[in-house]
Amino acid sequence: MGKRAHGQTLGVAVMSAIESEGVVLGGLPEAQLPAAPLRPRRAVVRGAAHRIAGVVFIVCLLVFMIGPIAWLALRAFSGLWQYPQLYPKDWTLSGWRQVFNDPNLRHSMRLSFEFAPIVTAASTVICLPAAYAFSRYRFPGRRFLLISLFATNAFPKIGLYISMAGVFYSLNLMGTFLGVVIVQLIGTVVFMTWIPAAAFSAIPRSLEEAARDVGAGPLRVFFRVTFPLAAPAILVAMILSFLASFDEAQGTFLVGVPNYITMPTEMYTLVLNYPEQVAAVFSILLAIPSVVLMAFARKHVMGGRLAEGFQLR
Amino acid sequence: MKRKHLGAIVVVGLAVVLAAVAATSQAATTRQAKTVTINLYASGDVNVQSLWQQYLIPGFEKQNKGIKVKLIFSEHGVNDTPTLARIGAAVKQRKWPGIDLVDAGLVTTLATDGLTQPVKKATAPNIGNVDKKLLTPVHGAAIPYRGSSVVLAYDSNNVAAPPKTLSALLQWIRAHPGKFTYNSPNTGGSGYSFAETVVDSFMTQNVLTQMQQGYAPQLESNWKQGFDLLHSLNQYVYQGVYPNGNQAVLDLLAKGQIWVAPVWSDQALTALKTKQLPASIHLTQIASPSFTGGAAYLGVLKTARNKVDVYKFVNYILSPAAQTQIINVMSGFPAIPLKLMPKAIQNKFADVSANSLRPTYAQKQQSDFKAQWQQTVP
Amino acid sequence: MVLPPVAVIAVFIGFPVVAAIAYTLGRAGGPNSVVASLGQRQFIVQKGVTFDAYRDILSNPTIHRDLWATVWVTIVVTLVVVAVSWAIALYLRLTDSWLARTISALSVVPLFIPVVIASYAILVFYASDGFIKTVAYHLGFHGFPTLGYTLTCVTLGEIWVNIPFGVLMMSSGLNGVPNNLIEAARDSGATMPRVVRSILLPMNVIPTVIVATFTAIYVLGSFTVPYLTGPTAPNLLGPSMANFFNSFNQPQQAEVLAIVVFVLALGIGAVYVWANVRTGRRSGLQS
Repeated sequence: MGKRAHGQTLGVAVMSAIESEGVVLGGLPEAQLPAAPLRPRRAVVRGAAHRIAGVVFIVCLLVFMIGPIAWLALRAFSGLWQYPQLYPKDWTLSGWRQVFNDPNLRHSMRLSFEFAPIVTAASTVICLPAAYAFSRYRFPGRRFLLISLFATNAFPKIGLYISMAGVFYSLNLMGTFLGVVIVQLIGTVVFMTWIPAAAFSAIPRSLEEAARDVGAGPLRVFFRVTFPLAAPAILVAMILSFLASFDEAQGTFLVGVPNYITMPTEMYTLVLNYPEQVAAVFSILLAIPSVVLMAFARKHVMGGRLAEGFQLR
Repeated sequence: MKRKHLGAIVVVGLAVVLAAVAATSQAATTRQAKTVTINLYASGDVNVQSLWQQYLIPGFEKQNKGIKVKLIFSEHGVNDTPTLARIGAAVKQRKWPGIDLVDAGLVTTLATDGLTQPVKKATAPNIGNVDKKLLTPVHGAAIPYRGSSVVLAYDSNNVAAPPKTLSALLQWIRAHPGKFTYNSPNTGGSGYSFAETVVDSFMTQNVLTQMQQGYAPQLESNWKQGFDLLHSLNQYVYQGVYPNGNQAVLDLLAKGQIWVAPVWSDQALTALKTKQLPASIHLTQIASPSFTGGAAYLGVLKTARNKVDVYKFVNYILSPAAQTQIINVMSGFPAIPLKLMPKAIQNKFADVSANSLRPTYAQKQQSDFKAQWQQTVP
Repeated sequence: MVLPPVAVIAVFIGFPVVAAIAYTLGRAGGPNSVVASLGQRQFIVQKGVTFDAYRDILSNPTIHRDLWATVWVTIVVTLVVVAVSWAIALYLRLTDSWLARTISALSVVPLFIPVVIASYAILVFYASDGFIKTVAYHLGFHGFPTLGYTLTCVTLGEIWVNIPFGVLMMSSGLNGVPNNLIEAARDSGATMPRVVRSILLPMNVIPTVIVATFTAIYVLGSFTVPYLTGPTAPNLLGPSMANFFNSFNQPQQAEVLAIVVFVLALGIGAVYVWANVRTGRRSGLQS
């Protein structure tokens, strides 16, 4: 659930950029220059007090951000570990064996890896044209639709399951592969439209027009000019979709029973019910794809690529 | 240059994924199973999961080639909302909910709401053996398959003479702050039983009977005294926080953080057997009133597929052999009369059986009780 | 082109939302007949609408406590997230050391950890036998309070989950401020704090508003973090909604809570839209 909300927020953020671009960039053509970080300035951390405060802040941040994950990772390999020992006294891989020998868990892991990319692809295919339309055409109700795409997602899902179940049954989607794809797709729509829409808006029309002037057809213009320029933002949106789909638990359970039960659903059971080790092992396994994604995407998500989506026309 | 490169990544990624979609959907169609599959939704603590997964299902599948049972397990309550939504919508539209058989606290709700098959229509001979009294609270629409009771667990290293009655227990709690706790009633039956037992001790038998057999919201004012007492215990409960779930209470006992707590007898006995609870933990029952106990129910959904096979499964679960397994694995009580059970088991339960346990409220009454506990106690 | 995603949302979310609103107002027909046949303590009317379900649950003292808990946790989380992400983003903007890059990498880690695992990790970290207690014990604080299963733990968990978004958004905003503007200010003798105050701060208002409003909306509607790390009561509205559904069998009351959360979220969302319109109008005047 959580990751989806982050996606929404990002999408909204981009949208705000659509609307606020004037104030950020107003009268500042230099803003289009890549915003490289400044040279280090010794003045920033002048004085020992400052430096100590900085170090304390950084240490606290490290413990706060990484501590829980590291502590959990230790658990995955620990045997008996009683309070108040600082680290486990004996080490074991039994938790790992237990996870890999459970056919249900293996199956749900495979399912998760199947659904997430498919949902991402489907969402991209459905939403990109819409994103393009939102950025290029001023049709009546445009802003209303954009905002309601987000607003409907702000309704707590738990209040909707019964009516959602009714809809899925009426359309014969319950328990089907397609049904699960749809229920996960719902959570990805917002940022798959908003982030690319912002990116498309960032591309000057003059570029497209120039391409058309030299005789390129509209499709060719889109794929040779518009799409490559918007690709970084689209990639970010796709990564967020992937994570949202990967993280979806209860909606998937609602629609997917009995054949499609994915990892996050199993995770609830594990976390609350199993020996701590097994839960820790499973957590690590679940985190692996995300970490791989992060290694791959960090440069784009962090390195100003997202910010690029903000610099709009 | 860089950007073109990225665009290419996006396109290639999409193509790969779409190919994967095509491949998996094809695989799905060719992978059609020829055997009959029964889908069982069970929720509860981990011992329920292992009972099904390791004993009942393999035992049944061995005897019935061609029938597979698929267990969909959910930790206490987490997936009950979607499941109830699903079943409700499916039965209403006369469609298959993807689930055939349910073993969860949910069953009593399903039975009360008419979503499960009445027992009268059951075709399995062993169902005739279950105690008819156990059918009353569920309107004859769910099948009791094992009994269990809540008992008092205590750490014999620290508690030499455990309390024998409810009032003695309450006194002990006040005398030993922080050494007792129970899980919040909406997260598990052991804590629920303690709370209901305290409240019951203030009510007349007549009121109690009405609440056990039906829904009597107009009588709920009788709960006030009991809830007040429970509220006054907040300061004596371990850390003043009520744990989530039966298992959490057992963990606290195992770690020595608390000395006395209400627990499910089956769960505690299993934990003792697997050494998750140290041997110093002993179990006892209190009196006047005793803790409640009751049956766990199976519900066959009205729109289940292959009902004949589902009943075959239920029949197997109620056979003496499977019941013996339930008793040995879960330390539960049998749901069929003792005289049908093997001699060894008969001796074990010489003076107690599932139906002689003190009954709890009917389902809707329980829902109200949990809501009011949440409102008035913590 | 716009139709497919809009249709998906309208059918699978929009329609159920409308049905849910009708149900809380006492209408049990049509799509609500299933839920109405399951629940207890319902307030149903055949004609018109009734607000009895709202009255029933909003006069419930437990809900008052949950509501206050939700509001307080939301406020604290929002303030901390805004402050911390400002600090991190500013540090990133003004230095380019390996340390800054490491911090930026670390601060987005939670974005890639599923919430269930994050909540579990946080619970274990702050539990009665967790890291914090263990370290405190070795430092001599034997009576250090246990944070697991408290609202403090929920707050810490929500902060953890929301920081990446804050950092991403703030760095994006600050990267939009051109270098030469800062350099020019520095050359004309402005101190660094002054540069922050008079250049970076005013130019980063919108991202700040976004971080604040969307962190708040996220916390309001969250379920997993408070469910796994929070106390029995009072807890946030997310878990208590689940209680009303599952344990108390009062779906109508649960739906009312959902709508309360929805309305609060919309209110916060309105702040964000208003801020955008306002700055949008001002920039319109400038150009």
